[in-house]
Amino acid sequence: MNLSALPALLLRDLRLAVRHGGESLMPLFFLFAVLILVPLGVGPGPNLLASIAPGMIWVAALLASLLALENLFRPDFEDGSLEQWWLGHLPVTGLVMTRLFSHWLITGLPVILFAPLAAQMLYLPGEALGVLILSLLIGTPILSLVGGLAAALTLGTNRGSVLLSILVFPLVVPVLIFATGAVSAAADGFSPRAHLGLLTALLVLALTLVPLAVTAALRLNIE
Amino acid sequence: MIWKTLKVGFHRLGSPPTFYRVSALISPWLWGGFALCTLIGLYYALYVVPPDYQQSDSYRILFIHVPAAWQAMAGYIVMAILAVIALVWRIRTTEIMAMMCAPIGAAFTLICLATGSLWGRPMWGTWWAWDARLTSMLVLLFIYLGIMGLYAAFEDRRKGARVACILVLVGVVNIPIIHFSVEWWTTLHQGATIRFFGESTMHYSMMPPLVWMTIAVKLMFGAVLLDRSRNELLDQDRRKGWVRQKVGEET
Amino acid sequence: MIPQFEYAFYVWTSYAIFAFVIGWQIVQPVVRRRRILAELREELALETGAYNDPDS
Repeated sequence: MNLSALPALLLRDLRLAVRHGGESLMPLFFLFAVLILVPLGVGPGPNLLASIAPGMIWVAALLASLLALENLFRPDFEDGSLEQWWLGHLPVTGLVMTRLFSHWLITGLPVILFAPLAAQMLYLPGEALGVLILSLLIGTPILSLVGGLAAALTLGTNRGSVLLSILVFPLVVPVLIFATGAVSAAADGFSPRAHLGLLTALLVLALTLVPLAVTAALRLNIE
Repeated sequence: MIWKTLKVGFHRLGSPPTFYRVSALISPWLWGGFALCTLIGLYYALYVVPPDYQQSDSYRILFIHVPAAWQAMAGYIVMAILAVIALVWRIRTTEIMAMMCAPIGAAFTLICLATGSLWGRPMWGTWWAWDARLTSMLVLLFIYLGIMGLYAAFEDRRKGARVACILVLVGVVNIPIIHFSVEWWTTLHQGATIRFFGESTMHYSMMPPLVWMTIAVKLMFGAVLLDRSRNELLDQDRRKGWVRQKVGEET
Repeated sequence: MIPQFEYAFYVWTSYAIFAFVIGWQIVQPVVRRRRILAELREELALETGAYNDPDS
């Protein structure tokens, strides 16, 4: 099986994201918009902000990941290149995973890179910063995978965006619970290992099952 | 020989006209059973059963709350089984039946949440608690709504049903995970979790109304499922010969 | 006849919600079936020429 075209697809997606510039950075702007609004809303007290910081950063990251989903498969679906995925010699699941990986690089990675700044803004205790970054590293790929599934399911509809958030919300509940649980445990001086372990288990489960479901959903939509 | 007859009979149900006819025969019996069981159940629940020594009369809510909660979950299992059949064998009647489970399941989830809230107010002093059961029921409601929304969003109903069936199966993997994660979440974040049944086991006198109401609710699920599926078939097959013939006969 | 309960408001509201939602589940298919059949009958009548236009 020749997989040399997969990096080409990845490079194409990344190049498109770079050329779109500001649009690709929207999730990051959104994340910081939420994080600036939180202290304005609940007050600038460091103790209160520190106690809600893990949850707020994660909720903001989750909402930010929803933004870019609408265009994950849609342009390819509309210009017909999605159908070519089934006509070529490449395994479609591989193409799906490549596309989801590029989505994570564009929306997930910047959030992780700017997490120290976000943690500072909400006075997250220093000892929890490492766990926050670790939880984002494990958790944001799950957000991309689950979001990709919702995007694939709603592809054939014309009012996808409202539906997208309804579909994603129940599926990411466990991610949010274990990720914020890990960061809160670390901030309170407990071991975050159990939460991180469960989060990793979710990632493994999502990595094995979601690409298959996405492939099936895309296939039904282009039929 | 009997096995073969049963198998042929089952396959015939995949044909819309046969399904339409057979469901019209079964549904009234289910409705009758539902009415009977509800009457017996309500009689026990409201007249026979004595007040609880701790909760007084408020625990009578249990007799609709618990059957509704069970049916909300059982409805999802029925939907998931139908979805597997629909995706593997591509039988149109099962696709439709799977989709028609969602609004009924959502209705039971809603009953469960509303009555739970009304029970919580006098007993816990609050309308809502972020308890594990309550939270996972709320998430289940949103999963049901997501399935209904996805099915309704497609112009091609058949395609919508198939895509939504995939979502149903994703939910099957996800619902246990949600349930356990929420359970751990409440034990980790809250000091003491409010428990529905506490330590005490249920008194035997509470069993009859619970059993009758549970059976009633199950029969009703079946009856509504058949009625809704018939309607959906009729609606989708407007242009087909068998519907024309049926309408001609009935006028 | 109607039993007197403690917490009567909560008990009866719960049973009312139950009755309302179940009732709606019962009525919805009946209404929808009637509507579909009426539409189909009208279509059929239009095709066979047996349609009586109430406006004319």
